[in-house]
Amino acid sequence: MFVINCPYCGERDQQEFKAGGEAHIERPKQPTELSDDEWAEYLFMRKNIKGIQFERWNHAHGCRKWFNMVRDTSNDEIKLIYKMGERPPSE
Amino acid sequence: MLNYNSPIDNQVEINDLSIKEVSPIMKLNLRGKKREFLTAAGKHLDMILPTEANTSSSSSKLTSMWLSPDEWMVVSNELIEKDTNEYDLEENLYNSISKTNLGAVVDVSDQFVMLELKGSKIYELFSSGSPFNFNDFKEKKGSTTQTLLNNIDVIIHNKGENLVNLFVRRSFSQHLFSWINDSASRL
Repeated sequence: MFVINCPYCGERDQQEFKAGGEAHIERPKQPTELSDDEWAEYLFMRKNIKGIQFERWNHAHGCRKWFNMVRDTSNDEIKLIYKMGERPPSE
Repeated sequence: MLNYNSPIDNQVEINDLSIKEVSPIMKLNLRGKKREFLTAAGKHLDMILPTEANTSSSSSKLTSMWLSPDEWMVVSNELIEKDTNEYDLEENLYNSISKTNLGAVVDVSDQFVMLELKGSKIYELFSSGSPFNFNDFKEKKGSTTQTLLNNIDVIIHNKGENLVNLFVRRSFSQHLFSWINDSASRL
C-alpha cells in the first residue's frame, strides 16, 4: 500500500485510485490515413518499462479527477504528480 | 418525497454510537467551472460555494460540500416536506444554471441516503473500514471527504464534535448499514 498525493484532495490511500495506463499518447490527427499496423501501434502498444514511467491516474473514489504521475515501476516510488494538460517534465 | 420507502427502518445504538437515517432531506448536485456559474449558484443559495478542498460552508438553511474542484453537493439542514418532489431552490438553480449551460444541477435527494452518526466512537468505527486518515478531519468542524467505507463510496461531513453526517448511495445503504451494525458491535 502506498499514499498518493491527489493534486486536488491531498494525500489519500492508493485504494481510492485507479491506474489509467500510459500518459501522453497522442491520438493521430488523421486516423484514416494510417495503416493497420500504425493504428494498432497507437491503440495497443504500451511501453510497460521497468523504471521511470509516465502514467495517468484517476482518483476514482474521491474527486474523480484524472491526473498524471511519474512513477518508478521497480519500487513504486512516485517522482512527481502533475495535473492533466500540464507539460510533462523532461526528466 | 413521494412514496419514499426508507431502506433503513431502524435506529441502532451500540457502544455509545447511535446511527439513524435522516429523511427527507433535499440533496442537490451542482457542477460547473465558469465564474458565472459560481455567481449564479451563490446568488440562489445565498452563500459562496467552498473552493478549498475537503471543506464545506453552511447557512441557516443549507450546507454546501466540496466534492471536487467543479462539483458540490448542497443539502438542506432541516427536514423538507414529505408530500412533494419539487423544490423551489432546485427550480431556480436549474433555470439559471442548467438552462443557460453554465453548469449542471441534478436532484440527488433520492439517490443518496443520509445517515446521522452520533457518539464518541464514530472515528473508531470509520477507521475499521476506511483507508482515510481522519486525524485532521475530526478536529475541523465542517470538513468533508469522499472516501471508501467497507469498500463503499461515501461522503462524510463533520457536523461537530461527535456528530457526523454520512451520505451513501441508496442501493448500497442497506449493506453499509448492516456492516456498521456489525462493526460497531465489536468496537
